[in-house]
Amino acid sequence: MDVATIKKTLFSRTVGRGIVSIAVFVLLWEVGSRWKQWFGFELPWIGAVPAPSSVIEVWLGLLYDLGYWLSWYKSTLRVFAGFIAAMIVGIPFGLMMAISRTAYGVLFPPFEVLRPIPPLAWVPASIIFWPTQEMSIAFVTFLGAFYTIVINVLGGAKSIDVRYFQAARSMGATRWNVFRRIILPGTLPSIVVGAAVGMGITWEVVVAAEMISGGGGAIQASGAGGGLGFFIWNSYVGGSYEQIVVGMISIGIAGYISSGIVRKLGELSTPWLRVR
Amino acid sequence: MELATRTVRTEDTVGLLKSAMPFQVVSNEMLEAIARAARRVSYKAGEVIYNRGDRADDLFVVVRGRVEHVLGPGAGATNLLRILGPGEVFGWAALLKSQPYRLAKSTAVEDTECLAINGDALLRILESDPETGDVVMSRFATMITRDFTVPEWVAQLRPVGRRAAPQQLTGLALTMFRLAQWLRSPRPYLMVIGFSLVLGFWYLAVEVWKLPRFEQMPGLTAVVKEWLSPDPAYGLSIYTPEYYQHIWVSCRRVGIAFFLATALGVPLGLFLGWSPKFKEYVFPVFEMLRPIPILAWVPLAILMFKGLETPVIFLTFLASFYATALNTMLGVQSIDESYFRAAYCLGASRWQTFRHIIIPGALPFIFTGLQISVGVAWFSLVAAEMVSGQFGLGYVINNSYTTVRYPTIIIGMVTLGAVGYITSALVRIVGDHLMQWRVRELALGGQS
Repeated sequence: MDVATIKKTLFSRTVGRGIVSIAVFVLLWEVGSRWKQWFGFELPWIGAVPAPSSVIEVWLGLLYDLGYWLSWYKSTLRVFAGFIAAMIVGIPFGLMMAISRTAYGVLFPPFEVLRPIPPLAWVPASIIFWPTQEMSIAFVTFLGAFYTIVINVLGGAKSIDVRYFQAARSMGATRWNVFRRIILPGTLPSIVVGAAVGMGITWEVVVAAEMISGGGGAIQASGAGGGLGFFIWNSYVGGSYEQIVVGMISIGIAGYISSGIVRKLGELSTPWLRVR
Repeated sequence: MELATRTVRTEDTVGLLKSAMPFQVVSNEMLEAIARAARRVSYKAGEVIYNRGDRADDLFVVVRGRVEHVLGPGAGATNLLRILGPGEVFGWAALLKSQPYRLAKSTAVEDTECLAINGDALLRILESDPETGDVVMSRFATMITRDFTVPEWVAQLRPVGRRAAPQQLTGLALTMFRLAQWLRSPRPYLMVIGFSLVLGFWYLAVEVWKLPRFEQMPGLTAVVKEWLSPDPAYGLSIYTPEYYQHIWVSCRRVGIAFFLATALGVPLGLFLGWSPKFKEYVFPVFEMLRPIPILAWVPLAILMFKGLETPVIFLTFLASFYATALNTMLGVQSIDESYFRAAYCLGASRWQTFRHIIIPGALPFIFTGLQISVGVAWFSLVAAEMVSGQFGLGYVINNSYTTVRYPTIIIGMVTLGAVGYITSALVRIVGDHLMQWRVRELALGGQS
């Protein structure tokens, strides 16, 4: 991108309207939060939320706090541990079901029965099962991404045009060739989508798992290193409401960045999709 | 004697019928019904059973003896004379609607006993079972036309009551047919293997082998016993009213949240997709808030909404709302541009385009969104209930954990899964029902 295009994008109407929209939102939030201070009575819902200006103030202070960054580090570590495990287990699992009718017949029904159980419902069971807190949180994040990835692999394999298989077979392709040249690239776009969605779910799950397990008092009371979910919960328990919002925005940013990374990696691994 | 060996046990009418040609496929219950409708008649040697032109009431099955069956020359059949022995059937005209009179003359060659079955009664019995009855009817028709090589005008006759389109099965019959097909495929057996692998591993690992990490887990039998016990050790089973209260509370919360999310999310999504200007102003805020996980909202929701119920509903609502609004917007954007151009060319107003193109065009995506939304709603409901709440399945799970009632955790999880599955199945059924045109289109197109 050259300077002219950047300039053009930056000063386009869309960006302008976006800025207006966010500015109006923040302004309304500020006014709503400060309503009591200025007019003497509290507005319903928004009145309880700390104002953006004070949130930013607290945030600037937190930037020098090691505990805050440690929370980032911890949550990211857990997310990626669960996510990578889900990719490693989920993709072969899904591919196996996609290739073999027998594997599908045996594995899919139990999978489908377990799937509607929300990952968070597994939290207590996984705390009982896994020896450490870390492992139980990673297990729950693993589950969160696992279902999405497997379902996407299956859907992707199903969407491959049957003519490719027929063509390959009539030209004498072996099973391995079919797998390597048709099934794998054919499912890759779906795997990428599943991974991106799974990454979003992973962040949801990690926050909740940290809140539930940490909220139970299992991690040190200072909150340092308990992860961003525990950071929020700790701030709530400690009554520092600005920190709650800081935690929320931090998780939002973290989730956005990690989904972005997954998408970028996905784009790189499926170069043929960029050709329009 | 050759005929003697073919003599069937005369006392056993059902067995006799079973050996007669078209009745072989009939179920036992139906055979018994036919046997009840049949009566035995005896003829002396040389006695005429019926003449050409007689009224045709009964269908005959030879029990003992022999019968000479002579078709009239006018019938034009190639095989005019037949001698029938035990187990053979004659008197088909009793089953032909437009031929109530006998086409043949039949005479007992020797002392003969026959089973006479009233044609009307037989037809009624066959009609009572659409599946096997139809098969028997078509066998009858084939036998009349092929085995007896009667002329074409007889072949064109339809047995009475034979329905015009036997392929159109009734709902129950269709279900039974599909069930039979399914049972014949390997799928149910593989499924059983799959479930027994999972459950068997659970049982063996926890209760038999007592593997290191598994010994603390609640075992399969412990959970099942607790669940089905009228006097549960940990206070929750299918006999306790609390169980249903928890289910009801969770369902109500999801219901309210889902309804609100649909009521607000669908219009918002439609407008976002419809008007680019609206989208440019609103979507940035939406996109800014969306990456924040729902659970990160928990403390803020508790602060914002006083009470115990509203925060939980708000969190559940928020999750479904994003899914619904986003999918609706994508749905509108996925509509083929040429529809809009065509509509505008034909002079459609903006409102008409909205009503007739945007809403139906986005419907498939809306329902996908709703399905995701139900799933997400349960997901965040559990989390919200686990963190704050006094009832509901999420609360059950978390509370059971803190009070060390481990089997109840599993009961809560399984119930949650079942209820969640049922709700999304309901949404799918409603969606399929509302979009039958699309299902048909996909069926015609062959591929989705």
